[in-house]
Amino acid sequence: MSSFLFRKRASSSRCWGVLCRNPKAESQFGNLNKPPKPQNVTCAVEIPRILDPGSSSFSPKTSKTLSGSLQNIKNLIASGESFGLSSNLGVPVVKSLCGFHGGIATCSLVRFYGAQAAQEPSTADGLTVDRILNSEWSIMAEDESDWKSHAAAIAQSVHLIKKRLQWKKLLVRLDMLSVELNKPDLWNDPVHAGKISREHGSLMGKMKEVKAFEQELLEHVDMIKLAREENDAELESESMKALLEMRRTSKEKETQALLAGEQDPCSCYIEVQSGAGGTESNDWAAMVMQMYKMWAQRHGYKMTVVDEMPGEIAGIKRATIKVDGEYAFGYAKAEVGVHRLVRISPFDSNKRRHTSFAAVAVTPILGDVSAHVQINESDLRIERFRSGGSGGQHANTTDSAVRIVHIPTGITATCQNERSQHQNKASAMAVIQARVDQLEMARQTQKNAQYSQSLTDITWGSQIRSYVLQPYRMVKDLRTNYEVSDPDSVLEGDLDGFILSYLSASLDKDEDDR
Amino acid sequence: MKLSLTPKLSTFLKPSLASTPLRRSLCSSSPSPPPPPISLKPQTPLFLRPPIHSATSSDLQQWQDWAKTLASSVGSTFANSDNGPDSTLLLRELNWLVDDAVQQGIENGQRKIRLRVSLEELYLLWKQRIEERKPFQYIVGCEHWRELVLCVQEGVLIPRPETELIVDLVGDVVKGEEGLREGLWADLGTGSGAIAIGIARVLGTGGGRVIATDLSPTAISVAGFNVERYGLQDVVELRKGSWFDPLKDVEGKLAGFVSNPPYIPSDNISGLQAEVGRHEPRVALDGGVDGMDDLLHLCKGAASILKPGGFFAFETNGEKQCKYLVEYMENEARGSFCNLSIIPDFAGIHRFVTGFHK
Ligand SMILES: C[S@@+](CC[C@H](N)C(=O)[O-])C[C@H]1O[C@@H](n2cnc3c(N)ncnc32)[C@H](O)[C@@H]1O
Repeated sequence: MSSFLFRKRASSSRCWGVLCRNPKAESQFGNLNKPPKPQNVTCAVEIPRILDPGSSSFSPKTSKTLSGSLQNIKNLIASGESFGLSSNLGVPVVKSLCGFHGGIATCSLVRFYGAQAAQEPSTADGLTVDRILNSEWSIMAEDESDWKSHAAAIAQSVHLIKKRLQWKKLLVRLDMLSVELNKPDLWNDPVHAGKISREHGSLMGKMKEVKAFEQELLEHVDMIKLAREENDAELESESMKALLEMRRTSKEKETQALLAGEQDPCSCYIEVQSGAGGTESNDWAAMVMQMYKMWAQRHGYKMTVVDEMPGEIAGIKRATIKVDGEYAFGYAKAEVGVHRLVRISPFDSNKRRHTSFAAVAVTPILGDVSAHVQINESDLRIERFRSGGSGGQHANTTDSAVRIVHIPTGITATCQNERSQHQNKASAMAVIQARVDQLEMARQTQKNAQYSQSLTDITWGSQIRSYVLQPYRMVKDLRTNYEVSDPDSVLEGDLDGFILSYLSASLDKDEDDR
Repeated sequence: MKLSLTPKLSTFLKPSLASTPLRRSLCSSSPSPPPPPISLKPQTPLFLRPPIHSATSSDLQQWQDWAKTLASSVGSTFANSDNGPDSTLLLRELNWLVDDAVQQGIENGQRKIRLRVSLEELYLLWKQRIEERKPFQYIVGCEHWRELVLCVQEGVLIPRPETELIVDLVGDVVKGEEGLREGLWADLGTGSGAIAIGIARVLGTGGGRVIATDLSPTAISVAGFNVERYGLQDVVELRKGSWFDPLKDVEGKLAGFVSNPPYIPSDNISGLQAEVGRHEPRVALDGGVDGMDDLLHLCKGAASILKPGGFFAFETNGEKQCKYLVEYMENEARGSFCNLSIIPDFAGIHRFVTGFHK
C-alpha cells in the first residue's frame, strides 16, 4: 500500500502543482502574491480570508484522494457534484475576493488564474482522458464489469460535457477574464469589476469541476491497475464500483451541462402572444399558455399569472406567467419563437382547416440584484389600467391593474392579478426590470459575440414548432426535427423531449468545439 | 375675484363644526393609555377564520359553477348603469373568494375540502355580492392594500388604491429627513387604519409615531384590530374624536399629518356606484355641498397643528378641489405654507395636495 501512496502523491502533485493542491504549494501561492506591504487596513484583513478559501476551495476534495483512501473517493463520488449546479469550486474564491463586500483595493493584490493554470491530468503511466477517448475501447452495457468500457463511457461523457460547455471558448474566455481581473485599475469601475469577477468565478468553477471529474476517473484507473499488479481483489472491485458510479453520474452531468448558461438557473417569465387571426388565434395562444402552466406544474415550479388579456370571444390576446424555480429559464428558453397550429377550427361553422400562430418570449429573472440595470424612477410612466370615472371615494373596485412604461426602451408591462395596486405595480416593475436586464444582456452578448451564443438573444424570430391536429396528428420541432405523434400529451405540458433535444442540438452542433 | 370664495367657505364650514362638539366631549380620549376601550368587536375576516367547515369537492364545484353563472349573467350591465364591476372582474373576485374561503394545501387526495365558512354561507355571500351589490371587500372582510391585508367591515370605508400613494408621498418626504422620520405624525379620519399603518411602516424603527383619529367607533375598533395585527400598538395610537379635537395636546408638534377626509359633494351621493352608495358609510364620503367642508376645516387647522417644517398631504376629489385648496392656502393662510403641490394619481387625476408648514 505504501508504494501506492507514494505513487499517488507523485502523480498528483505533477498534475496539480500549479493549482497548489498541497499545503506547501498553497503557502507558496500565498507568498507569491502577498504584496510587500498592505496598502490599507482592508487589505491586511482581507488577505488571509482571500487566500484561504481560494486554495481550499478545491484542495479538500483532492487532498482526500491523495491519501488513497477508497472511502474518501466513494464519498466524493456519492456527493454527486454537478457541473454548473453546485459550482462550489472556485466561486467562493471570487466572491470573497471581489464580491461587493470584498473591498476594492484587495482585489488588485491577488493574482487571478486563467485556464492555462490547469494542466492536463493523467495517470501514473501517462494515460489522459483524451487518450482513453482515442483508444476507442468498446463501450459495453453497464453491468459488464469491464473497467475499460466504463472508462471509455465516462471519457465520452466528459467529451460531450466539454462540448456543451463550449470548452475551448470557455478556456479562452477564462484567460481573457483573468487578464482583465489582474489589471490594476479594474476596480475603478466596481460594477464592471463585479461582473467580470462573477463571470470568472462561475467559469472557473465549471472548468475545475470538469478537471476534477477527469482527475477522479484517472485516479480510479490508476487504482485498478495497481490492484491488478498487487492482486488486491478487494481494491479492484471497489474501484470498479466507483467507476460504475461515475459512469452513472456522468449521464446526469451531461444533462446538467446543457444548462450551464449564466442565466439558466434563474426563474423566468413566459409570455405568450396570439398572432393575427382573431378568436382561433386567441384560442391557440390560450392553449399554448395552458401547455406551459402544466409543464411548470410537472416540474414542481411555482407558477403565477402576472398578466392576462382575454380575447373578445375566447382565449387570450396575451398573457404572462412567472415560473419560479431552479433552471426554469434554462429549460423554458428553448421555447422562444413562434408556435404554429393546424386544425379544424371549432370557431368555424364551415369546419375549415385553419393555421394560427402564437409567439412565445421568455425572460430570465436575475437572482443577483447587483446585476440589475439601474432604472430611474423618472424614466417610468405608471398608469392605472382600465380606469374610468372620478375614482377615489366614488369608486369601489377590486381592479387595480397597473401598466408601467419604461420610456427610454418602450418596454411595457401590465399586471392585474394581484389584489392591491401596490402589488400590481411591484409585479409589473419586476417584469420591466427583467426585460430591461435582458435587453442589456443582449447588448453585452453582441459585444462579446465570440463567446456568447445566440441562446440569450431572444427574438420573436421564425417558427420553431408545428402542431398539427388535423388531418393527421403530429407535433414537430422545426429546429431539431424532433417529433411526437401525440399532440395531446404535448399540449398537456410534456415538453421535455422537445426542450432537451433542442438544447443538445444547439450545444452539440459545433463538431470540434473542444 | 378669487376672494369670492370666502363667504361660501364660512357657510359650509358650519355644519361640520356644529356637529362635532357634542360627540367630541364623549369621544376624545386621553393620549394614554392606548388604545381606548374598544366596545365593538370587529368581525374576523374570512381568511383568518378557522377552517372548521367542510364540503365535498363536487359540492364546492357545484357552488362555483352556480356562482360563475351568476357572475357571467351580469355582463356589463353594472358597468353601464353606474360604473360597477363587469363579469370579468366578478369572476376574478370569485377566485379570490375561493382563495380566502378554502384552506389551501391539503386538498390532495382528500375528498372533503376544508372551508372557513359553510357552503350555505358561500351561497349567501355570493348572492349578496351580485344581487345586493355588496362590495367584495365586505364579503371577504378584507382589502389588500399596498403590501397589507386590512380587515374591513360595513361601517368602515374600504381603502382605495389611489390612497396608497399618500404613503409613498410620506415615504419620499421622510427619506433622509430624520427630523420628520422620527417625529410625530397624524392620520385624521383613519377609517380602517390604512394610511396610519402604512406610514408607521415607512417611518420604521427610528422612534416616529402616528396618531390615528376617527369619529366613527366602528372605524376606531377596526383600525385597532389592524394595528394590532401588524404589531404596531406601540407606534400607532388611536384616538376617537372629530378632526383636531383629540389632538389638543400635540398642537404645534406634528412632523406631519395626512388625511383622506370625506370629499364627495352631497348632491353626488345618491348617484354613486351601488357598492359605494348603498353600503359604505355616508359619514366617510359626504363632504358637504361642495365636498370641501372637511378639507377646508383641515386646511384651516394645518398651520397650528404642524411644527415648523412639518408636512401635510390631503386626498381630494380631483382637480377642482386641488386648485381650490392650493388657492386657499396661498391666499388665506398667506405665509404659513410653502412648496404647495398638486399630485396626480395613476389615472392622471389631480388627487393630492401637499405642502410644508414654514
Ligand atoms: C374617506 S374615509 C377615509 C378612511 C381612511 N383614511 C382611508 O383612506 O381609507 C373618511 C374617514 O373620515 C372619518 N370622519 C368623518 N368625519 C369625521 C370627523 N368629523 N372627524 C374625524 N373623522 C371623521 C370617517 O369615519 C372615515 O373613516
